[in-house]
Amino acid sequence: MATIATSLNIATQRAVITSKRQPARLACPVRLNNPWNLGSRTTNRLVSFRPVKATPEGVISDKVEKSIKDAEETCAGDPVSGECVAAWDEVEELSAAASHARDKKKDSDPLEEYCKDNPETNECRTYDN
Amino acid sequence: MAVSTIYSTQALNSTHFLTSSPSSSSSSKQVFFYRRQTNRRFNTIITCAAQQTVVIGLAADSGCGKSTFMRRLTSVFGGAAEPPKGGNPDSNTLISDMTTVICLDDYHSLDRTGRKEKGVTALDPRANDFDLMYEQVKALKSGIAVEKPIYNHVTGLLDAPELIQPPKILVIEGLHPMFDERVRDLLDFSIYLDISNEVKFAWKIQRDMAERGHSLESIKASIEARKPDFDAFIDPQKQYADAVIEVLPTQLIPDDNEGKVLRVRLIMKEGVKYFSPVYLFDEGSTISWIPCGRKLTCSYPGIKFNYQPDSYFDNEVSVVEMDGQFDRLDELIYVESHLSNLSTKFYGEVTQQMLKHADFPGSNNGTGLFQTIVGLKIRDLYEQLIANKATAPSEAAKA
Repeated sequence: MATIATSLNIATQRAVITSKRQPARLACPVRLNNPWNLGSRTTNRLVSFRPVKATPEGVISDKVEKSIKDAEETCAGDPVSGECVAAWDEVEELSAAASHARDKKKDSDPLEEYCKDNPETNECRTYDN
Repeated sequence: MAVSTIYSTQALNSTHFLTSSPSSSSSSKQVFFYRRQTNRRFNTIITCAAQQTVVIGLAADSGCGKSTFMRRLTSVFGGAAEPPKGGNPDSNTLISDMTTVICLDDYHSLDRTGRKEKGVTALDPRANDFDLMYEQVKALKSGIAVEKPIYNHVTGLLDAPELIQPPKILVIEGLHPMFDERVRDLLDFSIYLDISNEVKFAWKIQRDMAERGHSLESIKASIEARKPDFDAFIDPQKQYADAVIEVLPTQLIPDDNEGKVLRVRLIMKEGVKYFSPVYLFDEGSTISWIPCGRKLTCSYPGIKFNYQPDSYFDNEVSVVEMDGQFDRLDELIYVESHLSNLSTKFYGEVTQQMLKHADFPGSNNGTGLFQTIVGLKIRDLYEQLIANKATAPSEAAKA
């Protein structure tokens, strides 16, 4: 029981510290992994924990779609103007960003991501020696 | 003379950095960190020697394999490169133990809206701040940390700067590493990825067809629109590169339009300090080699190698060329055993590196092979440079 109590203390202390430091870099599953701590962390703190991972994929896909429409419109008028070229360049940039986001999502493991930032939590303890 | 100082972790997380004057040669500061939280390691020793950072430049158009090359390169040095922890999640910088990779898009002077207003692309030099690029690369090379701006590719805005510590190896990748002459002089080694138009089109289709909103016409229009700026500003950089990896459609399959099999040429400049080109059979000779035969059975279309000295933009170069695909491990090891001057540390290192990243694009053809080889060459260059710098001050002390 003592260990649970201490882990509770450590967890709440961490919670306090991170809520002061904006932006918080905690992944969403933080609270779910410690069901016995759910009681101690009230829903008020949900507000301060913004899951700040890089922008989700859907946002970028929307941007790509929108930029293609913009480019087609701009270029309908004058295909060699600077605006047209810049618009297609924007499409290219966003497509590249979308493809990078897809690649990153493909090989990211939520547990590994969480443990990289919080190696001392119970889920991430390693016993090497 | 050893100086030891104890810093609290808070002080280090802020903008504090350690500078070393370039004039001091053999004194090295060792800083011991003691972290209160338990961690895999209790203390980290960071040696802030008056180190000279090795700077590598990598130029390529968007969607041409820069990221893949970066991952292979950092893997050769060991460790995975990751974005800086606790910083902007949309940062383009990658940091590993030995290397730091900086994306030159961070030096855009105009953000996306600014470029749209002026009607310039990101390829245009007017959209980039070369003065800042030069100053910061120079500072990092001399061992001074810098606050580098961040260009957010998602929002298209310039975010708040991040602190970059001088690494042992600094890689600057982007569209214009060799454009500005001052930055070019700072580079110890430079690479250009030259993808031919047909292959570029095929790769972009592969990349973008999964995106809704994109169609074949829009991809084509995008490439066509960027072509003038690309030809004017980016393409001329290849004459300055020490190594060019040229990717062309295959010659083994007549009328091939799938673009799966590639012909890749590694063009290496002769006379570059600490860089000895790879060769087949004997340096300076011309040889054409098909490894498939009695010892090795390959599937269609097979593999063909070529090696010859050549002239490239008025420079003496050696060209190693590979056309075809690897299907099996033994093809790879067989080929590796016949290439010379690979700068490997043990037999089979190239094969091992290729297998380690078998899921990367290009792992079964010349792109992966030559990228891995260039990575090993850079490691060799780095070790020679460091050994040279280590002996130079001791010689100065003797004199």
